[in-house]
Amino acid sequence: MPELLEVKHLSVSFFTHTGEVQAVRDVSFSLKAGEVLALVGESGCGKSVLCKSIMKLLPQTAKIKSGSILVNGADITHYRERDMHKLRGRLFSMVFQDPMTSLNPAMSIGEQIGEAVRVHRPRLSREALRARVLELMALVGIDRPEERMGLYPHHFSGGMRQRAVLAIALAGDPAILFADEPTTALDVTIQAQILDLLRDVQHKLGTATVFVTHDLGVVARVADRVAVMYAGKIVEIGTAEEIFYDPRHPYTWGLLRALPALSKGRDTLYAIPGMPPTLVNPPRGDAFACRNEYALAIDYQEEPPMFQVTDTHYAATWLLDPRAPEVTPPSGGGIHAG
Amino acid sequence: MSIWNMALGWGKRLLTLLLSVFLLVTAVFYVSRLAPGDPLVAYYGDRVERMTPDERAWAKDRLGLNDPITVQYVRWLGRALHGDFGISYQYKMDAAEVIASRAGNTLILGGAGFVLTFSLSLLLGVLCAWHEDGPLDRVLCKLGTAASCVPEFWLSLVFILVFSITLRWLPSSGAYSIGGGGLGDRLAHLALPVSVVVAGHLWYYAYMVRNRLLEEVRADYVLLAKSKGLTKGRVMFRHCLRNALPSYLSLMAISVPHILGGTYIVETVFSYPGLGTLSYESTRYQDYNLLMLLCLLSGTVVMVSGMAAQFINQRLDPRLSARDAAGVREP
Repeated sequence: MPELLEVKHLSVSFFTHTGEVQAVRDVSFSLKAGEVLALVGESGCGKSVLCKSIMKLLPQTAKIKSGSILVNGADITHYRERDMHKLRGRLFSMVFQDPMTSLNPAMSIGEQIGEAVRVHRPRLSREALRARVLELMALVGIDRPEERMGLYPHHFSGGMRQRAVLAIALAGDPAILFADEPTTALDVTIQAQILDLLRDVQHKLGTATVFVTHDLGVVARVADRVAVMYAGKIVEIGTAEEIFYDPRHPYTWGLLRALPALSKGRDTLYAIPGMPPTLVNPPRGDAFACRNEYALAIDYQEEPPMFQVTDTHYAATWLLDPRAPEVTPPSGGGIHAG
Repeated sequence: MSIWNMALGWGKRLLTLLLSVFLLVTAVFYVSRLAPGDPLVAYYGDRVERMTPDERAWAKDRLGLNDPITVQYVRWLGRALHGDFGISYQYKMDAAEVIASRAGNTLILGGAGFVLTFSLSLLLGVLCAWHEDGPLDRVLCKLGTAASCVPEFWLSLVFILVFSITLRWLPSSGAYSIGGGGLGDRLAHLALPVSVVVAGHLWYYAYMVRNRLLEEVRADYVLLAKSKGLTKGRVMFRHCLRNALPSYLSLMAISVPHILGGTYIVETVFSYPGLGTLSYESTRYQDYNLLMLLCLLSGTVVMVSGMAAQFINQRLDPRLSARDAAGVREP
């Protein structure tokens, strides 16, 4: 199967008055048509920035420093705004984190969905446009769409707004959907609903999805493949089975151990010690080394390359070097070990 | 139900407006009579100097100026409520007639100034926001900051010096040439005063438009709008400008008295026969009746503008309209 999206050695930095913030550092991954890739990591590790840099939705202070973005083999790295707006909505679109702010407060829901339909099909008749808007609203589970298309975002609850945002994102039949923590800002019960909805829609339409989250529990429900990000880098990538049952990076071990389900019978939840480094001046060597109880001396000297575990599974840790000592993952590090 | 609520709301506002106007005219009535000066000069001119004390007393009595201020006030208020605002001492005509003969000139000057300020500031604001932090934006913003510090009376004098005296392109005073009065002549007389009014206010409002727009541009919903595939222009005009416009329109409504105040100053410098020069004269010569009516008019304009601003905001922003908050909407 050909790659739909290929990101090669992408580095993105924000140039602010405190200095260069290296938000994304040398990230490579690919996405096939219809596949669901989860991007997992702590807040501020560059997950959102990575997605937004692919869609070129970052503010002017952000620059792609190096690397390339290929879509169906075409290099879009240096596309300008006038080229990008033709791709957005049709090739890829995005569901944002906070549905309370991502809709235009002064425009009716129907109008906002209709605008997303019309932008790629300008010659659509009024009736056809209306039909399409109603169809989209039904698709994302908004009941009684005829009554509700005239309502404004402030009439909608958070979950309903997120459904509307999803309808907008799907309006142009995009090949890729970026879901940027789409459930983080919602109530727990609503989170599950939206998650199920995303999965249903994905099954129905076969949209390739990049699912950004910091919640590994969510990942297990939706993802085909998982990429774990830390301090702007992908530190481990593999199929969902590989990440959950045979994780290789100490950071992934930590994330899995921190799942509440795996701390059952213990007094306290596990937490990875320390804080992620600032990305203004990332430390030398492996950015995770100072929080890593399995760190080797070389971790403080040199960044580990991506070691191949299987055809689909890669991890950036010196522990995979043939010269490294044997380490047994902690209990809970891989699901079976707990 | 909702119509009743609305009627009640506007009734309250109308009452507030009437009360405010009442307090204003009361204050002005007392304060103007405390100011030093001789109102007889306005009525009798130089002859006042040759009057005997008896003649003066008689003259004052005739104008009703010998009574205690409160008696004068009650008498004025009673007549005003019947639509009789008294005569202008200086013009010896009904104050209302004097004002009516001048109001047109001010409406033309203020109206042209208002429309030009409104449209140019919108244009400049959008231009700056579009090229945010670009060279054009930076130059215009700095120029605007400098220009908005220039007082209108000074700018008027500079314009007269440059365009009327040095270059001799445009007339320096009046609303039309004596014996003239064609459209071209009127426009030539308007050019300088209108330019000053616009130049004095333009930058402030352009800056407001720019910043309001940029506030919208930075809002989260713009990201979603962009990710739909909308062009920059469509995002800017259909989303950002549309959301910024209600507050800008209400700002413009509040600005009516602001710009009107500007025309008063400019009229005085250019000796333009409008309400501004009239207000200045009436204060200076203690032409009480005229002054009161001008105050009443100006005050009403200020307050009605404020109400209009509120009204515009409510009608254009769906979040603020009471009917919508109840979830009811016309099909």
